[in-house]
Amino acid sequence: MTDQSEHLKEFVVELQKFPGPVLDNFNRAISEMPNALSEEQILDWLRRGIDIAGQTVRSWEAAAHFFQVSPSVISSMPYSYFVRWMECGTSLCGESPTLAAAYFEASPSTMSKLRSRHIESWAGLGDGLYKGTWKSSTLACRFFAETPTLLDTLSFQQLEKFANFLDALSHRSYDLSSECLTLGQQIFPLVGDNKDAFLSLATTLVETGWREVKSFFEAGAKALPKIHPEERMRFLNLAESLVNSGGTNIPGTMLDISESLSLLEEDHHHIVLGFAETLLHEEPLAMPEFIKSAPIVLEKLTILQLGRWYQEGVNTLSQNRDGGLAFFKIESSHSEAVMETLSSGIEFDRIKPVMEMYCRALAGAEIKLSPTDALVEKNIGWVSNESPTTEGSTVFVPTVVDRYATKEENYAWFKVVSTHQVAHLEFGSFIFEFERESQLFDNLRLDLEKRRIEALEEAQDNLSTESDPGVPTDPGNELLEGQAGLERAWLTDMQRFFDLFEDRKLALDIFTVVEDGRLDARVKNEYPGIKSSYVQVQSDSHENRPDIKELPAREAMVEFMVRLSLQQYEGVIAPSKYNKEAAQVAQIARRVLDVSASVEDTAEATLRIYAVIAAIPNEEIPPDDWNDMDFDDEDDEDYVDPEDMENLLQQIGMGMEMELRPEGEEEYESIQEVEYRGDFKPELAQLMTELRMQQQDEMGQTQGEPLTQEQLQELLENSAELDLQATEGEIQESSGMFADNIMKEAGANMPQSPDDAQGPFVHVDEDGGELEPAEPETFVYDEWDFRAEDYKPRWCIVRQKTMQEGDPTYFGATLNEYGTLVTRIRRQFEMMVPEMFRKERKLIDGEDIDIDDVIENMVDIKTGSSPDEKFYWRRNKVQRDVAVAFLLDTSASTAEAIDEGKGKQDDWDAPDDPVEYMVWLRTRRGEQMRRSYKRIIDMEKESMVLLINALEAIGDTYGIYGFSGYGRENVEFYTVKDLQETFSDRVKRRIDRIAPLHATRMGPAIRHAVYKLENTDARTKILFLISDGRPQDRGYSREGVEKEYAVHDTKMALDEAKRQGINSFCLTVDKNGHDYLKTMCSDMGYEILDDINDLPERLLVLYRRLTM
Amino acid sequence: MTTQSLYKSFIIEEYQLQEEPYYVPIADEVELFEAAYKSRLPLIFKGPTGCGKTRFVEYMSYKLGIELTKVKKSDSDDSGVNLPLVTIACHEDLTGSDLVGRYLLEGDQTVWLDGPLTRAVKAGGICYLDEVVEARKDTTVLIHPLTDHRRILPIEKRGELLEAAEGFLLVLSYNPGYQSALKDLKHSTRQRFVSIEFDYPPIELETQIVAHEAGVDEDVAYQLAKLGEKVRNLKEHGLGEGASTRLLIYAGKLISEGITPRRACQVSVNWAITDDESLQQSITEIISSIFE
Repeated sequence: MTDQSEHLKEFVVELQKFPGPVLDNFNRAISEMPNALSEEQILDWLRRGIDIAGQTVRSWEAAAHFFQVSPSVISSMPYSYFVRWMECGTSLCGESPTLAAAYFEASPSTMSKLRSRHIESWAGLGDGLYKGTWKSSTLACRFFAETPTLLDTLSFQQLEKFANFLDALSHRSYDLSSECLTLGQQIFPLVGDNKDAFLSLATTLVETGWREVKSFFEAGAKALPKIHPEERMRFLNLAESLVNSGGTNIPGTMLDISESLSLLEEDHHHIVLGFAETLLHEEPLAMPEFIKSAPIVLEKLTILQLGRWYQEGVNTLSQNRDGGLAFFKIESSHSEAVMETLSSGIEFDRIKPVMEMYCRALAGAEIKLSPTDALVEKNIGWVSNESPTTEGSTVFVPTVVDRYATKEENYAWFKVVSTHQVAHLEFGSFIFEFERESQLFDNLRLDLEKRRIEALEEAQDNLSTESDPGVPTDPGNELLEGQAGLERAWLTDMQRFFDLFEDRKLALDIFTVVEDGRLDARVKNEYPGIKSSYVQVQSDSHENRPDIKELPAREAMVEFMVRLSLQQYEGVIAPSKYNKEAAQVAQIARRVLDVSASVEDTAEATLRIYAVIAAIPNEEIPPDDWNDMDFDDEDDEDYVDPEDMENLLQQIGMGMEMELRPEGEEEYESIQEVEYRGDFKPELAQLMTELRMQQQDEMGQTQGEPLTQEQLQELLENSAELDLQATEGEIQESSGMFADNIMKEAGANMPQSPDDAQGPFVHVDEDGGELEPAEPETFVYDEWDFRAEDYKPRWCIVRQKTMQEGDPTYFGATLNEYGTLVTRIRRQFEMMVPEMFRKERKLIDGEDIDIDDVIENMVDIKTGSSPDEKFYWRRNKVQRDVAVAFLLDTSASTAEAIDEGKGKQDDWDAPDDPVEYMVWLRTRRGEQMRRSYKRIIDMEKESMVLLINALEAIGDTYGIYGFSGYGRENVEFYTVKDLQETFSDRVKRRIDRIAPLHATRMGPAIRHAVYKLENTDARTKILFLISDGRPQDRGYSREGVEKEYAVHDTKMALDEAKRQGINSFCLTVDKNGHDYLKTMCSDMGYEILDDINDLPERLLVLYRRLTM
Repeated sequence: MTTQSLYKSFIIEEYQLQEEPYYVPIADEVELFEAAYKSRLPLIFKGPTGCGKTRFVEYMSYKLGIELTKVKKSDSDDSGVNLPLVTIACHEDLTGSDLVGRYLLEGDQTVWLDGPLTRAVKAGGICYLDEVVEARKDTTVLIHPLTDHRRILPIEKRGELLEAAEGFLLVLSYNPGYQSALKDLKHSTRQRFVSIEFDYPPIELETQIVAHEAGVDEDVAYQLAKLGEKVRNLKEHGLGEGASTRLLIYAGKLISEGITPRRACQVSVNWAITDDESLQQSITEIISSIFE
């Protein structure tokens, strides 16, 4: 036994003083310690362990960990470092045993990733985080524990930075710091190579807005992966600059920005970020807006054009900061205008009014123009978002056309597309009648139909003789149904026609090509002006056709026809093997190019071409077996059906055309449609039209057997127009769904009874973009942003409703109440009437001479005095021709009692949150219910009653409207009496129902009233606004603080009215109204009523004065 | 008198058409007019502007004049036709005295001057009141006694009742298109007339008319007629009135003078019928589709 071993024993004895795990761990460890260690070193190790254990009461735990991990730690480093490791541990233990324990515990996995020379620094980092408090200790421990994971992605320097960041953050909040530590391990792998930037951004953020740090971490994790890896660094720099320049809500902004960037092509990130960087110097706040708008802008502009748009924005910015911001948010008309000018694309929205009129003119019918996605949404069988089409009453066209480099070309394309679709209606694709005769061909349809029925009956007879008639077998059933199908009344003639063919898909394709060819020829003939664009589009379409040589024979034949129709019958190749058939097809197809050709001719041609093509096996054609088809201008006046046509038709009649085909040939697949011709669905379109007629019949209570859902569904399943490529069960399901939707769609066009109920509020964010009026009776208006000095385009939706009807006795009761006043007013007003017809005498010129004046004149002449030459008279030409719109403020504040005498409180404290607002409103209204006093609104109502009474006496045109609303998407505009409406009991009833509603968004209401006045024919037009306070609404302000925004928008609306020649007058009962009315009605009349009770009388006095 | 060679002026009741006006009957209006004239039933022409109402009345006055001449004046001198046509354009300030007549001062006394209506009544011609709804209400009442069996014109200022001459016939025209509620004919007025409805001619006839009047070839005329047809489809969609035949003829005339068709249609059709910009654009599109 050496000294050392004795020492060892002594130490071991010492160890036994500590709780069991220490010794246990030591015993386990010592056996694992490398043999290379000298006994001295072992002793040293042991002694340090004992030191640690002995430091404080709880430090034995640290020691236990120390022993436990030692073997694995020493295995990864030389002894000298091991000593340092132990020293660090010891000193940490001096600070806090828990900390040391964590340090030891994390060591083994850390050491494999940490350079040995960094041990001390690492321990120092943990130590640094420890501030002697319980929370800091937790943080520090966790730091140690997380280190191994962190080091997977971070270098040690970065780890140091991170620790510093945590430290800095921990000064603010330990919890936050600790959460960031946890988030760190998720995020750093995502950050990629930009950890330094990320960390430095994080550190900066601690100083400027430490509360956001956590969300910054979370946002970072989501944002970064969306950005092109090479650009992430710049992105982070941008964010950092934004922080430095005082931006708020950085995490949210980062998320938004990255979201927008992810919508862009990755190649564009570089350019967009480049702009963003420059923009940062101009106006940091505009930068995020710019990036957020970029995807929208790039939908319309190329990346080069984006630069010019950006430049224009910067210019705006330099002149007007708010204007620039609005520009980059695309919340200014200028911004849109610039975009529109730069863009080469044609947007549906912009040209809709023009093109819709164009289409209506051409078709001579109530055509509507809609974007294709609207049709797809209806889910009635049309599925393509791109293809233009029509369903009989609406022409559907793509939302954006950006196929060519210039606007002109795009526009031309758009026009060709619309013209072609309208041609379906103009030249009657859908008025096909099965039994109407074709002029160009012998009529084979009826004959063929007869043959088919015979063939089916025969087949059925055969079956019934073979099988037991009592138990019909499945195939028999099917045929029976088939026969029933042929015998019943067809839903549409189109369907009846397509029922002739076994392969409906092929028949439909042929029909489509022939019909489109007919229309194209017709359009080019009827509209020479559009011919050049048409030919251009046709030849472009021709270039985009699939390679004909790759198609199997039958499809190739159809493709051959498409090309013929696009190429004016020149240089089209066809399989050499079927040259004869191709020539035949071409000859037939060509006949319908005649100007007088009708859709029935198309049908006959289809029948013949089908016969030819169906007889061709759908086989592959070797690439060499093709040749150009030559068409000399053969005279096809004397076209006669070739002899074998009879045979072919015979086969179709038997329903045999499919059976004769070789085994294993490919199924016929529809060929790619011609883009500009779009999606032609004659069967569906005709069906829709008939359904609509049927619906109308029902309205008119006439006869006509309504189509059942089942019939419709069956029809849809048979049709080749629906793409029901699914298993049997699903076909049932989806055709059912289509049938459902089609029924709805056909019914949707019926006139609807006006719905007076208040719709539910749809909440649209104020930060959102433009609004579209989707429902009937909704109108969209711009709003003026006075800071940006520009309109926010299509910002508010006005929903026009008719006021509900209430008690008609209210009207009479009010008149009684004001008995004397009523008579007085009425007399005053009646006195205005004769003034209009008063004869004006003593004029130099006039209608006629006044004989008395002439005599006087004569007398003067005879007596030698100078005569008065004014002896003509004229009727007063100043005719009273007045139209006036009264706009009543029916906001919640008009529910204020007027007797209580307390000053009107401003509703500005209305909560901004939609839900809270409604609650607030309800409480307020609830309070009003228990009233026994008069409210402002009551005075308004009474005024209206008196006014109507007076106005009816003089016969002015007048309208009474109430407005209120909540938010820019819900400006309610209630019609009490429309301008053109005559006064009736209904109006009386409606007045009773005027009641306080929501907020006061004046601008759009004024604009709508102006719109109504514009459509009224009168010499004097007046807009009379009666309100009880300043305009205000949720979001009717900039960032919810500036009341001036609303005032300015209202002012602008009034200015617009003035420009339209409409005089406005504002009457308010808000005693504090002077401050804003001065701005709002700067050069218009306004009056503030001191006593609301004067309202009725004053209103009438003002009215008289205004209209005299 | 030297002034006479400078301009041609007619005394109102002596205005007669010397040449047969060009008119293509669209329906049975010629027969109707002749039948009505035989019984001296007053007529009212309803129809949009520029569809040929005035031309028709000219045509009929000429045609009936010829017949009258043949029957009655076969032995007289070469005065030719003798059914005068008195056309009065009604405007909103047209008063009763404008129609009937008024006293004028001449020297020391007043002199009565017959109004055009009175002169037509005396002369026994066709009196054509164009756009009658525009005139003031008192004028329409004034014509009542002329339109029933009485066939008299009271001249209250002179205290006279004037019996209408043999050939007198009252014809009104009005355009229901832009009538506002205020400017509608009273029922008591309307029910005194036989109404003939006019509309723009069908495309084939209009082609023929435009070709004749404007001196353009059939193709251009057809295209113009087609433009008319298409633009008329837009009525009730913002257009108060469709493009009239008259406008199409104007366009045709410009074309025959060498103006390019698109431009000619633009100035004579498009800008004439609407001020609405988006509608103008739509019509421009139609023009550019139809004309090369």
